[in-house]
Amino acid sequence: MTSWLARLDEFSNTATVSSTFALTLFIGVLDYVTGTHISLSAFYLLPVSLAAWTVGPYFAIFISALSVGVWLTGDIISFDQTSAVPAILVWNAFIRFASYSVVVAALTNLRALQRQLEARVQQRAAALTAEIENRERLQRELLEVSEREQRRFGQDLHDGLCQHLAATALAGQVLGEKLASQNLGEARDAKRVVALIEQGIKLSHQLAKGLHPVDMNAAGLMQALQEFAANTTELHKVSCRFECDSPVLIHDPTTAGHMFRIAQEAVRNAIRHSGARGIVIRLDTLDEGLLLSVEDDGRGIAHAPIQPTSGMGLRIMAHRSRVIGATFELRSAPSGGTVVSCLLPQPEPAYEQAAQ
Amino acid sequence: MNKQPSRVFLVDDHPLVREWLTNLIEQQDDLAVCGEAESVQQAIDGIDETSPDVAIVDLSLSGGSGLDVVKNIRSSRPQTAIIVLSMHDERLYAERALRAGARGYIMKRESTSSIVAAIHEVLKGNIHVSAQMSATLDAKFVDGRSPPLQPPEELLSDRELEVFQLLGQGFETRRIAQVLGISIKTIQAYCARIKEKLVLANASELLREAVRWNERAAKD
Repeated sequence: MTSWLARLDEFSNTATVSSTFALTLFIGVLDYVTGTHISLSAFYLLPVSLAAWTVGPYFAIFISALSVGVWLTGDIISFDQTSAVPAILVWNAFIRFASYSVVVAALTNLRALQRQLEARVQQRAAALTAEIENRERLQRELLEVSEREQRRFGQDLHDGLCQHLAATALAGQVLGEKLASQNLGEARDAKRVVALIEQGIKLSHQLAKGLHPVDMNAAGLMQALQEFAANTTELHKVSCRFECDSPVLIHDPTTAGHMFRIAQEAVRNAIRHSGARGIVIRLDTLDEGLLLSVEDDGRGIAHAPIQPTSGMGLRIMAHRSRVIGATFELRSAPSGGTVVSCLLPQPEPAYEQAAQ
Repeated sequence: MNKQPSRVFLVDDHPLVREWLTNLIEQQDDLAVCGEAESVQQAIDGIDETSPDVAIVDLSLSGGSGLDVVKNIRSSRPQTAIIVLSMHDERLYAERALRAGARGYIMKRESTSSIVAAIHEVLKGNIHVSAQMSATLDAKFVDGRSPPLQPPEELLSDRELEVFQLLGQGFETRRIAQVLGISIKTIQAYCARIKEKLVLANASELLREAVRWNERAAKD
């Protein structure tokens, strides 16, 4: 019913106006042919309702009057004895017109109500869309801000604290050599202090690297993943490999950053939850775009109940993918492990540069 | 032995590091600090003026990269031995620094005690890197990964060289496929073969090598 009504709305005004006229005249002719004994008055309601619903009350009143006129003309032409009494004719015409008008009034009100409702629904839908867009923008900005802050912390740690500690280690070395030249046993302690400071530098360097993993150049993601795979192999007792057939350049550092974090989270999940011994991070250029995938040989998703924290990690990976316009997928590997993949669509390269 | 002490020039943008490096070096009988700088330009001017025997150069400087200083000294004063002292990972930068002309690479975060030894080493004309890095470089050399011996233009087929050249110009895989009118898969196969022929470990190295080769070709 509603779809039928909705389709009515799609007709242009001239189409409905002319079809209303045609319908009225057609019913008038039918009315005349069937004679005065059979009343077809209810049929006139069809063009009247059509007019009221699609065009408006004034046009509907006009069509009501037209219907009454057509009917009256037909009756006068057939010149029937009973209807020949003018007073009765006028009375009947008036009653008909009045009843059509009531229908017009009712339909007009109904139509107005329906329009209001529609407008309200549209308003709410628009408000909701705006709200969702706002929220998504906010989430993106939040992620960006936190990323920027992390990068700043990382930079400060690396350029400030690490250098300061390096100078301190040098000072310790100077002290150690002085003590050693006087043959004092404390030289060994100084050596130990230097070693401790060096450990401190290493720790804060790692912290800085974790906060600011991807260099700002286009090849940064490849380098960062290479280094990350090597560090993962060194730190956790797994074999983590980075594979990349042809060089992958990503010119937007934000995108590169998100891709790195996705890989990092996927590797972290593999180590924590799947008991994997081998992890392969891949960057592939495909026709569809750039594919980042992390595959492990662990227990797989079917056997590991997804923990609340890893669920959170998954959500963030999926969210990061959305932010950079990529599609995120988590599935079982043919080998039984898990594959996390993120496909970043890449636009066709610009033509003017391709011609060089 | 009353030999003149060897002269060392320090390039580092962190004053505290310079101060304590100076203290450390001055403490040695046979070494003396002849000057210091914190930016690329200062370093180039200072080294020109003081003509030191050794320069210790940090990679991250204000106003540019330490690699520029290394290259500059290498060409203008080849008799000055250069040691790069950096916070950066040797796995990423040591080879690059050595190729630029440095004779040693020390990571600030683990070899404080070997700085003096490194200076003595390079003064003797030797190369100083960490034991781990030394092993990696040896392995590369033994595997025939010493690129100068085998120039890419002799090793690669015409099509491979074309891909290599475009990579070096900063073209992405997708664009190379478009320019040459072949599929991405084929480009990847070419890349794999280039890596194999030039004995490059990964795509980053492939890119670096391609850029280097391109720069050299542009100079010639």
